[in-house]
Amino acid sequence: MVFLFVALPLVVAGILPLVGKISKKVLPDLLANSVFVVLLALVFFEARSLAGQDAAIEQLFWLGEPLNIRLMLDGFSLFMLFAVSLVGFAISLFSIDYMDHYGSKANFYALFLVMTAGMNGLLLVTDLFQIYIFLEVAAVASYALVAFGLGHDELEASFKYLMLSAVASAFLLAGIVIIFGVTGGLDFETVSQGLQTLDSRYLVGFCAAFFILGFGLKAALVPFHAWLPDAHPSAPAPISAALSGLLIKVSGVYALARVFLNVFGLTPALSTVLMYLGIISMVIAALLALGQTDIKRMLAYSSISQVGYIVLGIGLGTPLGILGGLFHLFNHALAKSLLFLNSGSLQMSTGTRNLDEMGGLGKRMPVTAGTTLIGSLSIAGVPPLNGFWSKLIIIVALVQAKQWAFAVIAVLVSVLTLWYYLIIQRKAFFGKLNERWSDVREAPFWMTASTVLLGLLCIATGIFFAATVNSWIRPAADSLVKGVQTMLGSLGF
Amino acid sequence: MIIEIALLCGLVLFSAAAIVFRDLLKAAICLAVASLLLGIIFFRMKAPYIGAFEISVVAGLITVLFITTIALTKTGGDVRESKAASWIFPLFFIVFLVLDFFVMRGLMGKIPALEATPEQGTFGEVLWKMRTFDLVGQIGIIFAGVLAVLALFRKRDKDE
Repeated sequence: MVFLFVALPLVVAGILPLVGKISKKVLPDLLANSVFVVLLALVFFEARSLAGQDAAIEQLFWLGEPLNIRLMLDGFSLFMLFAVSLVGFAISLFSIDYMDHYGSKANFYALFLVMTAGMNGLLLVTDLFQIYIFLEVAAVASYALVAFGLGHDELEASFKYLMLSAVASAFLLAGIVIIFGVTGGLDFETVSQGLQTLDSRYLVGFCAAFFILGFGLKAALVPFHAWLPDAHPSAPAPISAALSGLLIKVSGVYALARVFLNVFGLTPALSTVLMYLGIISMVIAALLALGQTDIKRMLAYSSISQVGYIVLGIGLGTPLGILGGLFHLFNHALAKSLLFLNSGSLQMSTGTRNLDEMGGLGKRMPVTAGTTLIGSLSIAGVPPLNGFWSKLIIIVALVQAKQWAFAVIAVLVSVLTLWYYLIIQRKAFFGKLNERWSDVREAPFWMTASTVLLGLLCIATGIFFAATVNSWIRPAADSLVKGVQTMLGSLGF
Repeated sequence: MIIEIALLCGLVLFSAAAIVFRDLLKAAICLAVASLLLGIIFFRMKAPYIGAFEISVVAGLITVLFITTIALTKTGGDVRESKAASWIFPLFFIVFLVLDFFVMRGLMGKIPALEATPEQGTFGEVLWKMRTFDLVGQIGIIFAGVLAVLALFRKRDKDE
């Protein structure tokens, strides 16, 4: 059943271009959305079957012969699959109305499903080289999706993204090659065993630097962030939501956390490097976001800043820090997808992304205004929304670990975050309605339905945060807290 | 050993030349020569399959694609490029070579010879039996590539 997370989106992606010849809109909409409903149902099914176990390994068979396809499902991968399926469903729902004017909807959904298959594959693999392969699956699909609008800006942003992503892949591949050279294996268990017995801190440090560079580029941590503020705003809104909400987290944060906590083992030096990368990203990206007038560019910088929080929490390495980091990952996936989708609604209704040209749109687009407010307050960390709890957990974890300076900076960046989100609210939705927008109407049904769903999820996760943490986040954090022990022996390889 | 060093030096030089040349045709040919040298290195290191792939696909097929594309495109107006580009790459390249030399000299003695692993066998066995899930990933990459071409070279329908 676990293999379906990869196979189902791939198979449907394969038939979608053919379906698109028969029906240009209805069937592709129906098929793509059905895939995400099935994936969500699968997540709940797997969560039930995993209950009480640390992890499960699925071995595939073909005509009675065992295939060399082993997929690992533990709390961390299940939690990430849940986030991908949930946010993916909201994005696919939003695309029903939004992607109409782009044309070639079947191809769009097919690429989106290939990207989802790539992310899901990456979440289930047990091998370093397979991380690289599924990272590329998701990346190749995302290059095309960024350029989907075919405009000059889109193509330029996609090219820049492709180039920097290729650099990231080259560093990752170099790291994997060296690891293979010194440990003689690629699967997580062999590598973590090999690294524990290896007497060369210098060599391991060298590989770790390659991985930090590679995954840092994928996660767009400062100073490896140059591609993101171009790529994310240029893509169609649902893809901006998928890139910021999911892809940078799966191919950046998940892969980084899995490799460093479960395979390498988090050393104090590594922890310090990750924490500094996190805090630098938080501060610099928040300051850069303040000066933006393009709403999507501001949101893109905000993504870099919030990924900084996540890396700070996970890099701290304490159980509470990891829990806070993962909870913030989930909350940011919900809220940032919501905000990017709403920026798409604004762009579709007004034809601009420039905040200075907007004004008073709250009167014309009340649902978009309301859900944007929820998303903004959530990311800024205003109680009782979900973002408040995750930031609070990260800050408490920093205080517990006596990292006072980091804790103070985290609070200050939260204030900065609130500041630039209030700028969005004030410039876009409040104030006097600009006469240019007197004919503007609320976004179509499926677009608002999708954003209302995400908005309600932000509120529900905030109110029932204890239940969310206990059912999804804690098992995920436990997998990381156990460190290399998760891979050594406990999985029954 | 001298032949290996000569091949490696040639590989580095032709790769750098592919970046430095402003004429796309010359750059594509330099890249093809670099791939050819890499293919020969693979053959000499007893990796004939990867050597054959490197020479036939990268040095052959991809070069043909590059040259065809270059022949089909017209030279547009001069693109203004920052002057920094002409000295940043050589500088970065030299710094990288120096760092690479020192790091690799430190690492060479420490990387142990690869021990026998379960992943040994013929090329076909490794590809089909040992790395089956990689093939699923490769299908995904091919899908993504084909769909990308379909999406990026599409014609807009009249009703869209």
